[in-house]
Amino acid sequence: MANSNLPRRIIKETQRLLSEPAPGISASPSEENMRYFNVMILGPSQSPYEGGVFKLELFLPEEYPMAPPKVRFLTKIYHPNIDKLGRICLDILKDKWSPALQIRTVLLSIQALLSAPNPDDPLSENIAKHWKTNETEAVETAKEWTRLYASGE
Amino acid sequence: MSVYFPRNFRLLEELERGEKGIGDGTVSYGMDDGDDIYMRSWTGTIIGPHNTVHEGRIYQLKLFCDKDYPEKPPSVRFHSRVNMTCVNHETGVFDYVEIGSIALVEPKKFGLLANWQREYTMEDILTQLKKEMAAPHNRKLVQPPEGTYF
Repeated sequence: MANSNLPRRIIKETQRLLSEPAPGISASPSEENMRYFNVMILGPSQSPYEGGVFKLELFLPEEYPMAPPKVRFLTKIYHPNIDKLGRICLDILKDKWSPALQIRTVLLSIQALLSAPNPDDPLSENIAKHWKTNETEAVETAKEWTRLYASGE
Repeated sequence: MSVYFPRNFRLLEELERGEKGIGDGTVSYGMDDGDDIYMRSWTGTIIGPHNTVHEGRIYQLKLFCDKDYPEKPPSVRFHSRVNMTCVNHETGVFDYVEIGSIALVEPKKFGLLANWQREYTMEDILTQLKKEMAAPHNRKLVQPPEGTYF
């Protein structure tokens, strides 16, 4: 498929992701499409997602790096900034994108988002409301979902 | 050298486009099951075109995008009863579920599905079906009572 003419920047980024992976993150390109990555993020320690293995998919559109990568969770997750389809509310994936950012920085930001849910800028209204009204209980639900859906099987 | 756009991100774009609303609003679509991470089942709506027997009628359709979408077209069937030359009325099995009578859009009789290309979208299917309703061989066909479903 369209792997020839893969921009040098993407090749470099991919090589580095494979040779020096960031802690708790793995990203490898699909064989058929070098712009499409299978991603795993481990739930950060001291977060409700600790112990979970979260699968994501990432795609570099034709305009990359002038346009941000497209990323979403494939593993169900209870988080105010992630919706039922795994779409992520994160400014650098939208208007705060800059070509100086990389796949690695995007994945690190997503990992950080797991450590610091932001119910004031929600994507899932119900989960955000839950978080704001009863954080202890919301965190319990997030832990429960991590056990149920992100056990890494 | 075109970039190969993967299925799931393609469907997410179609979803966002559908949520914004298309053109004059006479065709629309959305996801059937908001929990399905693979976004397979969709509902489409077509408002029958002017100056045809379909005028003012609201037709509901079901579209099913399998794992091989958009390489392969979705299966398309009418949920509302309709008479059109490209729609087959059969009794049988759909998506492995026995559902009695179905109104499948027959790919062989509907050019867009017969000559499917991966750039085509669900919007294209619905828009083209609406045009098909206004084609000479469909615009005057006697229709089932309004608002009846399978």
